This record gives sequence, structure tokens and C-alpha cells, in this order.
Amino acid sequence: MELIEATAFTLQELADAYNETRIDYIIPMPMTVERLRNYIKVYDVDLACSCAAVRDGEILGIGMLGVRAERGWVTRLGVLPSGRRQGVGRNIMNFLLNAAHARDLPEVWLEVIEGNNPAHELFQSLKFEETRELLVARRPPAFREIAPGEVVERPHVHNVRSLSHEGTLALLNSRSDEPNWLNQTESLSNVDELSALVVDTEDGGHGWVTYKTSLLRLTRIVVNVAQGDPAGVAAAVLQTLHEFYPTQDAIAENIPEDDPKWPGFLQVGYFEAFRRIEMVRDMGAWKMETGD
Amino acid sequence: MKTVLLIEDSLENTILVDRVLGASGYEMLHAATGEGGIQMAVEQVPDLVLIDIGLPDVDGHTVVTVLRQVDELAGVPLVAITAWPADIAQEMCDRYGYDGVIIKPISVRHFPKQIERYLTPEADA
Repeated sequence: MELIEATAFTLQELADAYNETRIDYIIPMPMTVERLRNYIKVYDVDLACSCAAVRDGEILGIGMLGVRAERGWVTRLGVLPSGRRQGVGRNIMNFLLNAAHARDLPEVWLEVIEGNNPAHELFQSLKFEETRELLVARRPPAFREIAPGEVVERPHVHNVRSLSHEGTLALLNSRSDEPNWLNQTESLSNVDELSALVVDTEDGGHGWVTYKTSLLRLTRIVVNVAQGDPAGVAAAVLQTLHEFYPTQDAIAENIPEDDPKWPGFLQVGYFEAFRRIEMVRDMGAWKMETGD
Repeated sequence: MKTVLLIEDSLENTILVDRVLGASGYEMLHAATGEGGIQMAVEQVPDLVLIDIGLPDVDGHTVVTVLRQVDELAGVPLVAITAWPADIAQEMCDRYGYDGVIIKPISVRHFPKQIERYLTPEADA
């Protein structure tokens, strides 16, 4: 088996290989060239730090590394059914961690879908430590019909402002929490045509939501509450968003499980689709282990 | 002849479903992407839509979200066909308002009957 830098392959070859790795995966997420190109851009994937495992000219698995200041991020790791239980995943991980080490990245992050036990065990054996669980939430439009005569409590919104891409990035830069890689400002600043709504509630709450809209759905949903009850203001902000875009499906990724705003998501019809476990590895220890 | 639209990106699965349902007398339509499937459903108004949840552009849930808003498709059963674990698939499909779920791999023997049941729901009574 040979590990070859991902730059030696076309995006089509990498997308095809990735799809083969996910053929029996718990959450299938088919990849196209266009999606992969966008993924590489948004998440700062460095193909020179990424690789494919190859035997007899056939790709057995792939893995990619996102690179940002002071941290790396393992993503798109997968092994084809024909390459499993042969150490392919571990070899790819060692390539990625060596690449991170060569870049002097002090830590490497990743997420694994809950229930993907082989991957989780591999990461634990490589000394990745769990940091938190992250929810991937969905909201179909018109999630619930109001019964005749039913009284529904609606958030009392005092003022709404919409922001341009630049205004939205300024908001994201003002956050004090620690978002996951997908929702870090570096990711969202790479997204085209990101928007935001800023909402003041009548009881003095203040919050905002970022989003990217398309004909069919809303993505890149990040909610921040600057003032007021986190759940109540989050609900008001999200309700306002969905009144603006009543027909779109909505996806909010990687909300920390213990985020006090999460009950606000539930109030307006989001539900947990699945969850990911976030993990981190201290690369200082990798340095000692490799004796470098 | 009843028409079934299959929205599925895997050629292998498409061929299998085409063969099984074609042999049972259904006319088959096929789209390999979510957006293509939405367009075909709106233009052709099939008798039933089979939707793979994992699609390369938008996923099956988003497809159902859109199709549910098309008046002409109001009576058309929307059925997920997926390899997701059955309990998770059922919960997701309930939330999104599918009419049912068929778990892959399909049974060649039972699959036509499963489809027929969605097209003649009174048969369950």
C-alpha cells in the first residue's frame, strides 16, 4: 500500500473514491466535483497535506486535512469496503498527523458521527480526546399545523435588520463562544453570499442569525444571543428567519449539545437528525512520540 | 399503467429497481439528483415517487419538503428508499412527512408488493 498526496489526483477521482468509501456509511453524503471544490475552499482543506491510500493502482481510502492558524482538522476520512481491516485508516491518519506536525500545528481536531464505532475507536487509539457532542438539526417548513382554536405563543419581535455579507462577517467576528470548525468565522467567511438577521425582542433581548439561502433550503445557520434569555431570544430570531423564508428546508450543523440556545431551536420546530462527537489531539505529544 | 419516479443517484440501485418494478408492469422514470427529481415530478406527476435520502445535491428530505408544496402532487405517495438504520429512517421520514420508508437492500420478491400497497392504501384495511 502506498500513500500518495491528494494533489496527484483529480477532484473527480477524489470525489469518486470518497463516494465509494461512503457506500455503506451510516449517513450517506454523496459528493460531486462541484461540492468537493466548494468544500475544499470553505474548510481550508490543503490537498498537499491530504492523501489517498493506493494498492495496485486502486484507491483504498482517502483522508483530508484542513489547515488554519494554530490548528488542523481531519475530514473526509474513509476507507473503501475492499480496504477495510487492513490498517488503511490508521496509515492515512498517520500521514495526516505527520503533515500537521510538519506544519507545526499544535492541535488537530475532527468529528466522528455518533455510532461510527470503528472510526471512533481508531481516533481514540491515536490519542484524540473527546471535547463535546454536536447536534445536526433539521427543520422542515410548516412543521406543525395549528389546531382550530389553539393559542400559540409567538415571540414578540421589536425590530429586525438584515445584513450584507460584510456585515454578517463583522457579527461573526464578535462572537465569544468557541464554534466548531464548520462554524468558525474562517469557514463562514469563505461562504458566498452569507446573510444575517439581527433581531431585538420587545423584552429587551438581542440576537442574530446567519444563514445562506438557496431556492430549496437554508444552511449555515448560526445563532448568537447577545442579550436576554438564550433560548427565548434564539427562538425569536429563528422564528423571524423562517417567517422570511417560509418554504425552505433548514439545516443547522454542529450545535453544541449543551448550548443554552438549543431549546429555542426546538421551540421553532428543529429536531436532532444525528450527532457528531468532536475530538482533539495535542500535537505536542505527537512530537514526543515521534522523537522529533 | 402506473408510473413510478425513482430519485436515486446510484446507477446500480436504479437498474435493480427498474428491473424489478418494470417486470411488475410499472412505467419507470428516473432522476439522479434532487433538483432533477423535483423537476420531473412536477412535469410528469407520477403515481408514486421513490426517494433515496442521500443525494448528491440536496437530500431526500429537502426534496419532500418541496414536493409537499406542489398542489398537483398532493395525492402522490412519497416514499423513502434508504440504507439508514430503520428506526432512524422512520423517525426522520415521519418528521418530514413521507408516506413511508423502504429499507435497502430491497427484497426482489416483496418490493413490488410494497409499492402496490402505497398505490392502493385501501388494501391495508
